[in-house]
Amino acid sequence: MPSWSEFQPFIVSGLALGGVYALSGVGLVVLYRATGVLNLAFGAVGAMGAFIAWSIINKAGAPGWVGWIACILFGGVLTLGYGLIFGPLLAARGPLVQTICTLGLALVLFGAMDLLWSSSGGQARSITLPSDSGGFMIGQVQVNWTSVIGLGAGIVITAGTHAFLRYTKLGTAMRAMANDREITATLGVPVRRVEAAAWFGCGLLAGIAGILLADLAALDDTTLTFTVVISALAAALIARLHSIWITFAAAIVIGLVHDLITPITQLTDYRDMTPFVLAAIALIAVSRRQVFTQSREEG
Amino acid sequence: MIDTAGPKAPAAARLLPRPDRRALVRGTIIVVLLLLALFALPPLMNGYYTVTMTQVAIYSIVTLGLGLLVGRVGLYSLGQIAVLIIGAWTGARLLFGTGQPFIVVMIEAGLVTMIIGSLITLPALRLRGLYLALITLMLAGAVTVIEATLNFPNGGGGFSGYNGSLVHIPQIRRPSFAGTDPAYYRFSVIVAIVMFLLVYVHLRARPGRAWASIRQSEAASLAAGISTTFYKLWAMALASFVTGVAGALLAGGDRYLYSIDFPIQNSITLLAVVLMGGVFSLAGAVIAAFLQSFLPAMLYQLWSVPYDWLLILFGVGVMQVLATAPGGIADQFPKDMKRLYRLIRRLVSRPAPASSSGTAPAKGGEAA
Amino acid sequence: MLLATLAALSLGVLAACSSSSSSSSSSSPPASSSSASASSSSSAATTSTSACGTKPGVAATGTPINIGAINTKQNGTDFSDIENMTGAYFACVNANGGINGHPIKYFPVTEQTNPSQIASLAKQLVTSDHVVGMAGNSSIIECTIDQGYWKSVGIYALGAGIAPECYSTPNTASVNMGPRYSSDGAVSYVISQGATKIAFDQSNVPGTTYIAAGPNAIAKAKSVPIQDFTENVPITSADSIAIKLVNAAGSNGAVVLNFTPPEALLILQAAQKLNLEDRVKSWACSTPCNTDFLATALGPKWNNKLFVNAELTPLDGNTSPTAQLFDGILKQYGTDVSGGVGSFSEMGFVIGEIATHALETITGPYTIASVSAAFKAVDNYNTGLLCQGYVYGNFPEHIPNNMDYTVTPDNGKFVVASNGGGCTLISANDPQIAAYRSVAGTAPSVNPPTS
Repeated sequence: MPSWSEFQPFIVSGLALGGVYALSGVGLVVLYRATGVLNLAFGAVGAMGAFIAWSIINKAGAPGWVGWIACILFGGVLTLGYGLIFGPLLAARGPLVQTICTLGLALVLFGAMDLLWSSSGGQARSITLPSDSGGFMIGQVQVNWTSVIGLGAGIVITAGTHAFLRYTKLGTAMRAMANDREITATLGVPVRRVEAAAWFGCGLLAGIAGILLADLAALDDTTLTFTVVISALAAALIARLHSIWITFAAAIVIGLVHDLITPITQLTDYRDMTPFVLAAIALIAVSRRQVFTQSREEG
Repeated sequence: MIDTAGPKAPAAARLLPRPDRRALVRGTIIVVLLLLALFALPPLMNGYYTVTMTQVAIYSIVTLGLGLLVGRVGLYSLGQIAVLIIGAWTGARLLFGTGQPFIVVMIEAGLVTMIIGSLITLPALRLRGLYLALITLMLAGAVTVIEATLNFPNGGGGFSGYNGSLVHIPQIRRPSFAGTDPAYYRFSVIVAIVMFLLVYVHLRARPGRAWASIRQSEAASLAAGISTTFYKLWAMALASFVTGVAGALLAGGDRYLYSIDFPIQNSITLLAVVLMGGVFSLAGAVIAAFLQSFLPAMLYQLWSVPYDWLLILFGVGVMQVLATAPGGIADQFPKDMKRLYRLIRRLVSRPAPASSSGTAPAKGGEAA
Repeated sequence: MLLATLAALSLGVLAACSSSSSSSSSSSPPASSSSASASSSSSAATTSTSACGTKPGVAATGTPINIGAINTKQNGTDFSDIENMTGAYFACVNANGGINGHPIKYFPVTEQTNPSQIASLAKQLVTSDHVVGMAGNSSIIECTIDQGYWKSVGIYALGAGIAPECYSTPNTASVNMGPRYSSDGAVSYVISQGATKIAFDQSNVPGTTYIAAGPNAIAKAKSVPIQDFTENVPITSADSIAIKLVNAAGSNGAVVLNFTPPEALLILQAAQKLNLEDRVKSWACSTPCNTDFLATALGPKWNNKLFVNAELTPLDGNTSPTAQLFDGILKQYGTDVSGGVGSFSEMGFVIGEIATHALETITGPYTIASVSAAFKAVDNYNTGLLCQGYVYGNFPEHIPNNMDYTVTPDNGKFVVASNGGGCTLISANDPQIAAYRSVAGTAPSVNPPTS
């Protein structure tokens, strides 16, 4: 069993990894709370935005912030487009069908990314932020500024969206719409506008997460579209797709446990299982208490 | 299938009831197609397409299982690749480690996969809808990681059957009567037919009715006294069994198994093609297998189309199916053909004078 | 339902019946189209590319010689630059006299690591496309799957190998070293520079134990402790990997990586972000890291800190005739070589060179037997880009490239390391190398470095 000092640096890296999962997980849950759809294409949208940013920065030679703005706007516009078409179309079908439909979007984007930014010839792309080259020491361990920003962004987004959804009029309208579109419409809420705002806002979130994740994890289509999202989904599931704060906390725990297992030789090969095992335990423990979960029926 | 022939027909209808005749015609066509597939096709296909069609036959069993779960029970499993991995691993391990006949190994692989698949999903069956789908994804992710570390058997010893330092890796053996590619193709088609029959028998018996009831409304089924958990488990067990058999068949077909060939995203494309093919009919499973294995191979062979375009097609297909055509190609294609037929009939019969004889045949045709 | 199945089946039958060599026409640049572009720039370029053939400027018009190649091309792993560059070389040859007047018809195909697909592609190339030789193979698993088939039809393939069978079977020889021997070179170099402990990490693709056996044997022979790791790719948490490796290597140790460039870059960048790059004596990498993309992405902190095993002569600043020919062919015929100058395109070029040289020695008809005999007869051929003369020979295994350079980044480019980076034999402490040299002998260096 490794010693405490051996675990120390992994606590820091684990928090950074947790921040990565938190960004994605919180984004998923916020989308779910605001639109009623679990947008599994969240990672793919952000990834494509990050690739576009890469092209703008490295091929067109534009300054960094132009690329990042482009990425964020791309996320917003693409998600808005998808939501405007498929939101009303599938509203009566229930969350399961709506989620599977977003998987379709993820496949389209994944295929497009691989065509446009191929990995032939040993090309290695990366997104670098100015905060990459700097940090501070905690004890023996170096903490990088970008990780701090990632974690901080996670906290800000968590707190901000939580407050927005609970305390503002628009946020409440979004929650009502996510729960039942028909009834909310009869209450006089301008559903189309609220829906558009929800999709657009969540799309911007996907873009922001995309840039940060491309820097913190990797500018790789498989990693950003599938690996990170599926792991972040574990955190979202632990929070029962409801509480944004619990999603954040669960993501941090997953990241910590994953990295803390690294120096334990008997378990280290299986550490990539961490999100799945934790989610499975949490879900099964919860399901013992009830047969039915949400009140919404699928069509 | 309501008899609309009118008051003159009842005697004739009792003698030759329409539904049975239709089923007979349909059955005959299926048998003819299968005979063609078994005997007419192999001499026409070169090595490339023989192997491709073998993959179609194998994956049609996998899509059969997934289509059963999605279409009949409403269980959107995002983890069927993990089930296939378990089946392939078990099949390979037994084929390397024992001298048992291939068919025995296939059945054993199916049973082991059935037991593991049922055990893993049993605690989760009380969940519904979205959560159940997502937890299958989580469980599949866990299996993929275990398998990446354990690796597929490659002729080594010990429990895992994996020897990482082998310089020459032996091939997984095939049945003595189906060693060549064309023979293995025929063997795969026959196994697929058997699996389809197995599922068909289930659908016509009590489990099928229970599943239909659960898909309509789980609450109503419970109220009617149907044990939903038991029948969901049965569906999962059946789907796992056939997928396990398919896994063993895949081991013999590919002859070498690598973990890089079973990434978690294949589960998602599998669900996509199953939805596109059509989840409400057995033919949909065959169409899905063609989409998954034949279409990419053909497009690459003819026009060097990269697989990325297929991913885009599958993504669009999923969105289209869910939004407008829930029955998939299997459901939509006959409807489109019927519409086309009616359109042609209308265009052809328009110049004829408007007499009663002109309209009666159209009505009779509608009843079909 | 019936119509759908019927339609699908008939489509399948149609496709099967019409299948033949259609895959070649769309992928390889046929001689006629490239000579059209050649003529416009021929005034400037013929001097630099005509050296590939025997009759400058004369297009080959005889019966074609069919040559095939199988490359892995899927998300995250794309080797198609290798066969594309070999194809470019052949296009140059076809525009400059061909092989004694015969053009080479190239059939490059790509696969997605599907074993049955790879087996069927090999059969299709031989039985439908009637190839008489294979030149340009590069695949994660092709050697494993096809080695029995090549043996049965008598083809001796030439490629850039990865799987163990590319180096341990009689019917395939490679122009590169592959992951095991390339890692050997990297480990030997850091030990020669004084590292007292090795942390060896690689991606979890087929054959990890086999690959690690080489470095382990070399480290053991020098009494240097070594610890092996594997990572699932694509990597998500590079930070923890960097920390783990640095801890395992220790302050006087070395971290040796065997990854594709994007994954290696992630680990190295993570180490830099965490300020860990100086916590070990040195970092090393097997050949895939030897690309300009990596050199430019890594900052100046890695100058003389990261040492990459290079299987081929570096081309930056190289003015030899071979390098000029390479540039010319890449510019004129290599439009589908998306990675540009790099180890992939260099390997493809060398394969083209050796294959052309072998084919030109054939006097009678071009059959599998005559082409295989010609390949096997290649002996001490100076490619201009390998340390040693290339030898195929009639051996039970082939490791003809067993001498490497070591390069290090220098402000955005890789240059030969000043301290012992020149052509160095891979250590015979690796039992496979020793076994090969006992049957084939040890070829000396013919191509000194250009640093």
